[in-house]
Amino acid sequence: MPGIDECLLEVMRLPGARGAAVVDWTSGLALGTIGDSPNGDHEATAAETAEVARMAAEQPAFARLSSPAEGDRPPGEAAGPPVEDVIVTTHDGYHMLRFVETAFDSSVFLHLWLNRSEGNLALARMRLGELAERLVLA
Amino acid sequence: MSAIAAGLDAPAADRAPVLSPMLQRLAAERATGALMRDHGTLYLADGQVVHAESPATPGIDVLLTAGGTLRHEGWWDAVAQAGAHRRVGRYLVDSGHVPGGALELCHLGALYDAAFFALAPTGTPARFRYGVAHWIGPVRPVPVAAVERETLRRREFLDRIWPDAACDGAPLLRTAAYGSDAPAPARQSRILELADGFRTASDIARELGRSAFHVLVDLRRLAAAGLVEAVRAQPLPAASAPGRITLPEVTADPDIALLRRLRDALEAL
Repeated sequence: MPGIDECLLEVMRLPGARGAAVVDWTSGLALGTIGDSPNGDHEATAAETAEVARMAAEQPAFARLSSPAEGDRPPGEAAGPPVEDVIVTTHDGYHMLRFVETAFDSSVFLHLWLNRSEGNLALARMRLGELAERLVLA
Repeated sequence: MSAIAAGLDAPAADRAPVLSPMLQRLAAERATGALMRDHGTLYLADGQVVHAESPATPGIDVLLTAGGTLRHEGWWDAVAQAGAHRRVGRYLVDSGHVPGGALELCHLGALYDAAFFALAPTGTPARFRYGVAHWIGPVRPVPVAAVERETLRRREFLDRIWPDAACDGAPLLRTAAYGSDAPAPARQSRILELADGFRTASDIARELGRSAFHVLVDLRRLAAAGLVEAVRAQPLPAASAPGRITLPEVTADPDIALLRRLRDALEAL
């Protein structure tokens, strides 16, 4: 049964992975963490990355162009954010925030912290997308 | 199941904020059972929080069925098959009704959501019933300390967005500014559509199948933007979390911070 922990273990098998977390971007809560975090505090990191994820998810500039009018959506129907991922590059690393689309209402993303010299950005991005899907699929 | 302990959760002690001394005692003695408080119930197993429920929040059944993850029949099938053994969560996954990761995400969300309301300040003594287990069964237990830390962080988080708790418990009404020149993000718009002067935050959460705390977060943002306000005609119900208007206990200089935020908010209008 793939769960949060199994998903995070898989994420850490990526070359150059330093740490990862499953985070709720509305509250900033870390639902699961593994490895290191940039400031040594996974909970604080989650709250910070959640703000970035929320900004990306809510900006009209990144909204789906062809999305149906919001009013047509039946109440309660879950709709993922229009953004797939956010990548922040620092001097020595990459931070990848990958939104997880769930059938129930949620605001969850996967955060991967990657070593810049060892990590492969393209590979990590593809794999993180797969793992985000697998996390919520049977 | 037989022993019922009674204890008084002293509100507002002067030392570091402790949400519930009783809860900490129970964690230390690795207790199993249900801690019943004014606004909700925490279920413990071996001193860890395994589930939480509050009348203010939609249950995990509502969250799972509202979005179509699970059909109502699937839910009732699971309750009928596994409810008596208190393993509904495990059954939902094993029978293929809900993917394991999805159940963990949804259940954790519901747990922290209900715990936030269950641990709201109250003058009513809490009760603990030893041996009681919830029928959802084990999903992903959380340490008591993590739940307490998160609940305190959430209170502060709300007050940082907009330090007025008026919208938390009262019926809500969108203001005239709604729909004019201030577009709200999609998730907030759906809340505004339901703010009809009668529904409260909890009603809206149930209707959307969304965590009640998530609704509170968006409501504080909407209130700050002047798009929604509390209907004050009726007296607030007791469930509106008395004491939520108090300032965060850890702010070094609460008055100045509050005045600054109010000034900034007024200037932004």
